[in-house]
Parts: sequence; structure tokens; C-alpha cells
Amino acid sequence: SALSSTSTTFNTTQGGSSGEDVSIGYPNLVNFLTFNASLPIFQAQPSLKRIVHFAIDRAIREIINPVVERSVTIAGIATRELVVKDFALEPDENKMRKAAHLMVQSLSGSLASVTSREPLRMSMTQHLRTLFSQNGISEQAIPEQAIFILVADNLELACSVVEKSASEKAIAEIDEGLAHNFLNRRKHRERTGQPYYDFAIYSSSRYPSTLPESLRLKPNGLALQQLRVYEDFARLPRIVAQEQTFAEENVPLQTAQAVDKFTQFLIE
Amino acid sequence: MNINNNNPITQPYSYPPNNQTYDDEEKVYQLLLDLTSVKDREHALLELSKKREAYQDLAPILWHSFGIMSALIQEIIAVYPMLSVGLSSHASNRVCNALALLQCVASHGETRSLFLNAHIPLFLYPFLNTTSKTRPFEYLRLTSLGVIGALVKNDNSDVINFLLSTEIIPLCLRIMETGSELSKTVAIFIVQKILLDDMGLNYICQTYERFYAVGTVLSNMVTQLQSQHSIRLLKHIIRCYLRLSDNSRAREALRQCLPEPLRDATFSQLLKDDATTKRCLATLLVNLSEN
Repeated sequence: SALSSTSTTFNTTQGGSSGEDVSIGYPNLVNFLTFNASLPIFQAQPSLKRIVHFAIDRAIREIINPVVERSVTIAGIATRELVVKDFALEPDENKMRKAAHLMVQSLSGSLASVTSREPLRMSMTQHLRTLFSQNGISEQAIPEQAIFILVADNLELACSVVEKSASEKAIAEIDEGLAHNFLNRRKHRERTGQPYYDFAIYSSSRYPSTLPESLRLKPNGLALQQLRVYEDFARLPRIVAQEQTFAEENVPLQTAQAVDKFTQFLIE
Repeated sequence: MNINNNNPITQPYSYPPNNQTYDDEEKVYQLLLDLTSVKDREHALLELSKKREAYQDLAPILWHSFGIMSALIQEIIAVYPMLSVGLSSHASNRVCNALALLQCVASHGETRSLFLNAHIPLFLYPFLNTTSKTRPFEYLRLTSLGVIGALVKNDNSDVINFLLSTEIIPLCLRIMETGSELSKTVAIFIVQKILLDDMGLNYICQTYERFYAVGTVLSNMVTQLQSQHSIRLLKHIIRCYLRLSDNSRAREALRQCLPEPLRDATFSQLLKDDATTKRCLATLLVNLSEN
């Protein structure tokens, strides 16, 4: 990676072993790190920021794969089961796909974020401690309390990387999980032009067809009003926050804002 | 729907009673529909969680109606960001009302396996993983445990199979050590139900680490009980040990590590009116004494 050379300006090896991975997985992270005003040492010695970047980058890479994999799997299963049931009489695979995407992204991202928080906090703390000490930075210069502040200020950012990764991977997961449901709808439309009817789901129990009128699925698919439940997944608080704009670019970002900006940056 | 409130004494102004039933049903349908609307949901959650006992087939209706399960999951994940910053009583009550409806779905024979197949219990694990001792968190953990408790209540090996593939045992063990008495009781109930299943017993006794983890927590609970008497917890603890003693390797280990207070008369006062548990304890001691 182009950025690996920057990391040679400080010692990143653990226990002096050679051949340690010194690459940076998330080079852009550096632009979104928060350095609290109560820690002036980072203004005085900007090179220390690289150590922080490296420690957080390493913490993320340490935990991201299993967390993302688990979150995507669970979110994919839950979304598949509920969407297949709710869209049993919906002929339009595009509506189904859209709803499934909104739900699976929200579920996988939320699960990934909540699951990664504590492991990230521990791992970031550990790596910061180790890397500062390996680079000869004393506890007087950066005491334990400063590490605590660094971690608290940047934890949300680290979680957002994991969250974003899960949300993205979840799309492919659900598209695969629902592929034959999409295909069946298209084929059915092309062949018959009759209202769609997922026999396996709709006749799995007596309930779907005996529900009170107001709650029952209707032939010919869902009303726009009904689809709002799925659109609401995109309106959960965290995601709304990303839509805010920043009027005053020069004002130091609050943690939440930095996270939002970073998330936007990842999307672009 | 089974409506139990057309009693003319409690409903003096409803005449004829059938109309009241009809109106009530319509009201419940409207509340169910309201669950799918963000602005009406909170009120509907509150009302339906209060009424849930009165309707036998609420669970299948919750499951099969469009969008309700997805709306309930939305309620769950909306709370995740609050777990690290603090949970208000208001937010806790709201999500617990949603959990109460999920508990309905978990209890009902017609929806239990659908609920499991969709892996919905796993969305509750972040709640079980919290450690804050404040009331909103205690209530959240207790209500979440209630959903898992409802799943295991009916001795269904599919449920046990599912739970064993997840991290429910460590989550329950931690709550058994640090939770409120009520949470501890539900958590040990879940572990006991897992143990009562052959697959569950084998799973826990399969490695020394698993047995040791369970054994240590049970033994710590016995120690705690010496100062805080709880017959309810003691019953479950004794039953867990008794079941563990069905496994030959666990029996061997328990001969060494069964806590002393269960061997001597420490709890005889607490157990004096509970013949069944006394018999369980006696059987346990017999099992451990044989060679």
C-alpha cells in the first residue's frame, strides 16, 4: 500500500518481531480522528497522530471480519424470513428487493456496531498503550487518562467502519438469499400475467388467509403505505444524522459529526 | 379471538355483550395496524402488551400480519445506540413492550419455530450483554431473558439445538452471577432447561472448560445464597446439580467440587417446607456417593 511507508517513521512491531504487518487498512481514517483539546501534545507533536491512526486501524482490522460475518449472516436470515412472508402476494420483485435491502443494511449495520463496540474499545486501548510505549513515549507524556480520552473520542468512528462494512456486505448476502424469489416473480409475470401468489408461504398455515381484512395481504401486492414499514429502516436515528450538513466547516467536529462525515466519505 | 371481557359486571354499559366483543376486536385490529406506523406505534405497543394475555391467537396474528415483526425488530435495534450512552426508563419501557409481544410469538406453538428460523432471538443478545445495574437496564435484561425463557419452557429440542449454536450459555452465566434476583432466576431457569435436554447436557459436559464454567457459577451462587436466602434460586441450583450428576464425567468431577453447604445442613431451614427439592438434594448426594 502507498501508505505503508509512512508507518516506518515509527516503530510498529510488537515484541520486536520482524515481518510484522505494518500496512494501513483504512488510510482515510486519519482525516477523521478526533484529538481532544485537553490533549495538547498532539498539536505540539503531530507525528503522534500517526501512532493513534495506526493503533485504531489495527484494532479495527483485528475484530472486523468475524463481527461483520456474524452480523451479515444473522441480518440476512432475519430479513429473508420476514420479507418472504410479507411479500408473499407481491408480484414486483423490485419492491421486494428494495425493502429487503433497506432492512438488511439496517439490521446488519446495527448488529455490527453494537457487537464491535466493547471489543474495539479494549483493542484500541491495548494497541495505543503498546505502540506509545514501543515508541518511547512516557506515561507522563501520555498518561492512561489520555488514552482513555482518545479511545472514547474515536470509538464511534471505529464502530462506524465496522458498521459500514457490514451494511455493504449484507446487500450481496440478501440478493443471493432471495435470488430465486426475485426470479420466480419475474418468470410468473412474463408467463401468466396473473396475480402473484407464494404458495409455500401463503398456505403454510391457516392464518395468512384468515386474518382480519385490515391485516391480511391483498392480491396484487402491497400498498405504498404498507411499504413505509421497510422504508422506516432507513430513518432510524443514526442514519438520519448522516443527512445533516455542516454549515461551519472550520469548527472542530463533534465526535458524532466526524463519524457522519466519515460515513459519508465512505459512501462517496 | 378469545375475548374474556364481555362480563356484564365488569362491563356494565355494554349491551348487547356481543357488540362489545366486536368493538374490542376491531380496536385490537386497529392497534395491530398501528404497530406498523412510526407515529402510532408507541401507544399501540403499550396497549397491546397489556392486552396480550386476553387473546389466544395474538402470536400468529402478530407473525402473519404484514410488517409487524419487522416493526418490532426496528424497535429492538433502535435501542442499540443507547446501550453505550445510557438508557432512559421511557426507552426501556417502550422496547420492553415490544419484547413482551415477541415473547408471545416465542411462546406460541404455531409461531415458535418461525421465530427461531428467522434467528430473531439473536437480536436480543446485545441487551443480555449489558452490565449496567440501573433499573432501565435491569428491566431490559429481565424482559429479554423472558423471551428466551418462553422459548425453552416447552422442552423443544429444536429450541435447545438453536440456543446451543449461540452464546446464550455464557450470557446466562454472567447474569446468574451479577444480575438481580429475578434475572438470576430466569437465567438459571434457561440453563436448567438446556441441561434437562440430553443434547444440552452432553454439550455442557463435553469439555472440561464448559463444565467448569457452569460449575463455578453454580458454586458462586451457593456461596451467595448463604447470606441472601432465596428458596427459588436454591431450587434451580439443586436441580442443575442433580441433572449434571446424570453425566458420568460431571458426576466424577462433582464428587470433588460440590459446594460444602449443599452437603451439610446449611440450607435445611430454607428447605424445610419444600419436600420435592429436599428429595432432589438427597438424590444428588446419593448419586455422588455411589461408586
